[in-house]
Amino acid sequence: MIPVFLAQLAKDRRNPLILIIFIAASIGGTILFTGGTETPTTISIFSEEENDQAIEDKWESLLNEGSDMRFVVTDSAEARENVQQGQSDVAVKLLEEDYKLITTSNLPTVDYVDQHVRTVFEKEALIQSAVEQSNDIEGLRTEIETTLNHPPLDMEVTSITGEELSSYDMGTQLMFAFTLLVAMFIIGFRVNNILKDKVYGLWDRLILSPVSKTGMYTAYIAYACFIGFVQMLTVILIFKYVLNYDIGERLDLLLIILAFFTFSMVSIATLLTGLVKKPEQFYALYPSVMPIIPLISGVYMMPGTITNPVLTFIGDLFPVSHAMDAIINVVMYDAAWQDITQPLILMVLIGVVAMGIGINLVERRTT
Amino acid sequence: MIETIQLSKRFKEKTVVEGVDLYLDKGESVGLLGPNGAGKSTTISIISSLLKPTTGDVKLDGESVIKNPGDIRKVLGVVPQEIALYQELTAYENLKFFGRIYRVPKSQLESRIQTTLELVGLKDRQKDLIKTFSGGMKRRINIASALLHHPKILILDEPTVGIDPQSRNYILEMIRKLNEQEGTTVLYTSHYMEEVEQLCDRVYIMDHGKVIASGSQSELLSILSNEDTMKVQLNQMSNELVKAILEIDVVRHVEETGDSIKIIAKKSSNIISNLVKLADQQNIKIMNFQMENPSLEDVFLHLTGRTLRD
Ligand SMILES: Nc1ncnc2c1ncn2[C@@H]1O[C@H](COP(=O)(O)OP(=O)(O)OP(=O)(O)O)[C@@H](O)[C@H]1O
Ligand SMILES: [Mg+2]
Repeated sequence: MIPVFLAQLAKDRRNPLILIIFIAASIGGTILFTGGTETPTTISIFSEEENDQAIEDKWESLLNEGSDMRFVVTDSAEARENVQQGQSDVAVKLLEEDYKLITTSNLPTVDYVDQHVRTVFEKEALIQSAVEQSNDIEGLRTEIETTLNHPPLDMEVTSITGEELSSYDMGTQLMFAFTLLVAMFIIGFRVNNILKDKVYGLWDRLILSPVSKTGMYTAYIAYACFIGFVQMLTVILIFKYVLNYDIGERLDLLLIILAFFTFSMVSIATLLTGLVKKPEQFYALYPSVMPIIPLISGVYMMPGTITNPVLTFIGDLFPVSHAMDAIINVVMYDAAWQDITQPLILMVLIGVVAMGIGINLVERRTT
Repeated sequence: MIETIQLSKRFKEKTVVEGVDLYLDKGESVGLLGPNGAGKSTTISIISSLLKPTTGDVKLDGESVIKNPGDIRKVLGVVPQEIALYQELTAYENLKFFGRIYRVPKSQLESRIQTTLELVGLKDRQKDLIKTFSGGMKRRINIASALLHHPKILILDEPTVGIDPQSRNYILEMIRKLNEQEGTTVLYTSHYMEEVEQLCDRVYIMDHGKVIASGSQSELLSILSNEDTMKVQLNQMSNELVKAILEIDVVRHVEETGDSIKIIAKKSSNIISNLVKLADQQNIKIMNFQMENPSLEDVFLHLTGRTLRD
């Protein structure tokens, strides 16, 4: 069994380029699609109302308050052009008490901007309605602010309040999403080595050797787990220590989640391997199915964006949604061990079932 | 040593091997000859316990090995028809890998690898990746991988397919050495009759899943003892002449090869005079006439009416 594992490793060591490309892809993908949200993104705001100057001034200061994004008043024509030509993802058109997003894409950053702007507008609307019944406008405003910042009851920490949402870190979520996606690919390709080696007769040689069937499967599967885990670990360590992403304090919990995810994903890949006859079919099937899964699991979007029950159900059949769920809880809400047991159990469950069926299918395909 | 009893294998509706009885005695070199799709590889897979027969049995020293394949696997070295190697690894790494999974003791592994590399003549290329090897060299490492654990029985499935004559001779010579000097029992599959003639004490000829003839070479050739094979060289080829010759009632087979024709006919007949007469009628000159020793190829032709590589 160990020699089989080592042979797989030797192959990848001889040809590490593919691994390096995969690792670079998860890092590059994250940076590309988040536009590096770690550094504040600049977003154009403008108004086309009569009293545009006043509106712009008012919202500019409110929007910039407590946000890592920078909202800058821009000429309306210029802002629109920038969006149209793809130089910026989104611009905000301000009305007296409302806003419109100017955008041509539905990148996650747009959602992120929308969340923030909406929160600011809703809060302001609340204050406005309170103000209408009061005389001391400034006094009231300060009072509300103080109350919001220092609530009498410490409830808001766990409830989804406006404050919390605006600090929600889409960049970190996307980083994990891409890392998991890329790991799904690499895991799939490594599991598919079983099929490849079967076609070339290597598998038969192993069967004729004293290595047991269980030992053979264990070696291939353990290797796929190993390589998938190493890939994710590398990416996450690079993000944490080189690019200084905030991934929370609990690296230990994260590694456990990733380990469970790896196992679960290897099982899914085994199941898909069992469904095809030739490695080429796998190469056609797997890369066309896999990118869809995180999409319908909603891991690229704000949690709760996908509400269609069919899609969420399909998403829940795959480990990536559960892994993401647990990761977000750990990274952003300081979840502890007991808070993530449910997604962990679900991943094990998926893993065991898929592995059982998968190995059976792989066996049946060839004898 | 090994014996199969009425082996049959059916895939879905298709019967691929049917009622095959064969045996291998210790130290023998036995050939399994047959055209593409005859069922050779399937038979070998069943013998080496990779496939279960639909019906029939395989015995090693009298014990059935179908249910308990461990015993036969221990004494077997199997060279598959495909190049079953890690292309991304070197020859040395491949051999080390197979040595380890076949449990060659650590202390002997290194020397076994070197001896085997020497045997296949690739010691100086051991550090090179398999994918940089020529077809013939890959074949040789493919064989070497099955030798590391000193198998008592070596089963080779068309180990010379698609390689140059030089590599082919090298491989045949190597197998002969293993058989004669080390006493390895050999089952050699091929659709080249020359190889089997050169290498094997006994031959089984398979076609459409059945063994259609078996025995030593002389036994097989005696099937043809009442036939003559002759080669006739003509100054020009004529389809009419070929047709006319086929109509002679003692003629079994006529085959055109370049400017000559090969004729198989019943012995002791007056075919030659007939031939001369027919050629005369069409104004064709016979340039050369030659009686040929029959080969296993001719035996196959006799039995099936087809050539081995049709
Ligand atoms: N797993 C399988 N399922 C269905 N048919 C099969 C299977 N394996 C082999 N066959 C069929 O069985 C027949 C015999 O195949 P086999 O590989 O044993 O022939 P062979 O004598 O080794 O031929 P070759 O010289 O081409 O290697 C072929 O017609 C092949 O298509
Ligand atoms: Mg074959």
